[in-house]
Amino acid sequence: MVRFEIKKIFSRTGNKIALLLLAALLSLTCFLTIGSVEYVDEQGESASGIGATRRLREDKNQWAGEITEGVLLKVLQKNAEINASEEYLSKDVQENNKAYAKKQGFSDIRDMLNHAFTPFREYDYYRVDSLTAEEIAKFYEQRVIVLTDWLNSDEAKDRYSEEEKNFIITKYRELQTPLYYEYADGWQAFAEYAPTIIMLTVLLLAFPIAGIFANEFQCRAESIFFSTRLGRNKAVLSKIYAGIWIITGIYWTVILLYSVVVLGILGTDGAECAIQTGLGGWKSFYNITYLQEYFLIVGGGYLGSLFILTLVMFLSARTHSTALPVTVPFILLFIPSFLSNLPVLSEALGILPDQLLQMGQTVCMFNLYQVGKTVFGAVPIIMILYPVLSCALLPLLYHIYSKTEIK
Amino acid sequence: MELKLDDLTKKFGSFTAVDHISLTMTNGVYGLLGINGAGKTTLMRMLCTLLRPTEGNIYCNGSDIFEMDGEYRRLLGYLPQEFGFYPEFTVHDYLLYIATLKGIRPAVARKRVRELISQVGLTNAAGKKMKKLSGGMKRRAGIAQAMLNDPKILILDEPTAGLDPNERIRFRNLISELSEERLILLSTHIVSDVEYIANEIWLMGEGTILHRGSLEEIIASIPENVWECSVKKDQIAAIMRNYKISNMKTEPEGATLRIISRDRPAESAKRTEASLEDVFLYYFGENAKSEAEEID
Repeated sequence: MVRFEIKKIFSRTGNKIALLLLAALLSLTCFLTIGSVEYVDEQGESASGIGATRRLREDKNQWAGEITEGVLLKVLQKNAEINASEEYLSKDVQENNKAYAKKQGFSDIRDMLNHAFTPFREYDYYRVDSLTAEEIAKFYEQRVIVLTDWLNSDEAKDRYSEEEKNFIITKYRELQTPLYYEYADGWQAFAEYAPTIIMLTVLLLAFPIAGIFANEFQCRAESIFFSTRLGRNKAVLSKIYAGIWIITGIYWTVILLYSVVVLGILGTDGAECAIQTGLGGWKSFYNITYLQEYFLIVGGGYLGSLFILTLVMFLSARTHSTALPVTVPFILLFIPSFLSNLPVLSEALGILPDQLLQMGQTVCMFNLYQVGKTVFGAVPIIMILYPVLSCALLPLLYHIYSKTEIK
Repeated sequence: MELKLDDLTKKFGSFTAVDHISLTMTNGVYGLLGINGAGKTTLMRMLCTLLRPTEGNIYCNGSDIFEMDGEYRRLLGYLPQEFGFYPEFTVHDYLLYIATLKGIRPAVARKRVRELISQVGLTNAAGKKMKKLSGGMKRRAGIAQAMLNDPKILILDEPTAGLDPNERIRFRNLISELSEERLILLSTHIVSDVEYIANEIWLMGEGTILHRGSLEEIIASIPENVWECSVKKDQIAAIMRNYKISNMKTEPEGATLRIISRDRPAESAKRTEASLEDVFLYYFGENAKSEAEEID
């Protein structure tokens, strides 16, 4: 019966088009993701693709290993040497690019230094150029100092409770140092672009998913459906199973294809590096590796998709139409970004389902929730909340559809 | 097989679609005749568990059909007035799917689908998509789906609506073939559909059963006579004003009228046997006539 349900859905031209569009967008996203990793060669020319990635990996992996004080001093020294070179001092951009080409290998470590020695809400690309060896020695302490300064600043002092402040500081201190570093651009690019393809998958899947329960009414086949022996029990369950199968099958197919293509080309090196070794993850209080972040992104994306699309099924079962249900993902994914400027809503926005679809960014946000004296980040809350809500929606969905009256 | 309707009522807000109907049906063909809006479809939907009654109950062999749930629907075959289908499915796939919904095991379903496709004359169209079928073929696929589970109760709501005369006759014959050892309730506003095949006819209007009985009993139920006469053109308007006209055949110099009246309407009028159409007109008046015109 599930097979027939799936066949019913994908026999519709509109749904076939949605799948083809998803395949096209997947290809485009892969192309953009791979293209986002650039390498600047000795001539100052930018390139991307398999060859460029290989050369970038070689350059960066020359700096692979623990980021100790010695390594940082070496970076400082190398950076100063390049800054003194003709290419760097030239007024010609192409010459400057040649200088940058020499810094590429340690550019991630350079970024970490810039972050560590500039105020929390700022970023000074040239800060590393003025660092001294004495300052370098305080590299890891500096991360906590910058955070603490910010938490005590006017901007943040009333924003978080004492427990919340202690929670973040403790998490910062718990980060195992010295950090291990190696080339991890594959994971970083994946984390940056994965939300795009996950959101596109949810938006396009809403069309076939909304049809599962509305289809009977659109085809005017509901009278026969509900007058059959299994029409009000097993057949309704089959629709739910079909929905879960379609969501699960298509989501994981898309994600696995995206993972294989992106990580296959950009590489899986750096899986065990902490996300704090990257520009985006430096401030995160989630002490996880890139591999763990990958599982959070794909797992969170699945749970978020499952919730949003279960809601789509629920609404289509309730309204017997696809018009309103297909707009639900648009509302859930895009309205929060319009409301993000309202400080009153910031706490609520941090645990909306769209956060599950962009876990790479969620782990970098300072969304905290306090229950009594216990403080939680948004990630564990949404990872539990939405699967529970999805599970709660399914029996409701079954109930309302199996009790449908045909007037 | 016995279906018992006990004080069955369905209200939609302040509108009463089915009004306290109590009846018992056993095997045989029941023709439910009434104009649009008489409550036929609502009654049938309740019999198919698609709608719950506001008051009253329906019993199948003594058990409430809503409590029997799937067990009742196992006995049921239903062809709704608006026969919806999945346009991209082939006839074969469509019937296999409905067989699955009816809980028929796959091996049995495949055999049954083959048999029914042949019985309803769709063998050459089995691989065709449902959306490509003609109106008559769709209706035949509709009756095939209703028959998949060899139902003991077959409910057909306006099964011949939209069919051409040939298809209608073929369809009627098919229903006659299927009527052995079954309870068939056939709803229609096309008089000839039930005239030939129904064992019992129910006239339904405004949510109630106005009259019920065999064809002869129903015809005998009108307290007026039926007359036929030829009149000149200038007399037609006056007669139409004063009498119920069940048929008018226009001729070069006037018309031959079929008139329902207790008294002789004109000197030349001859009494004739009443037909079911006359009865339909007698009970449903102008509404019935406009529907008849629509059908013609």
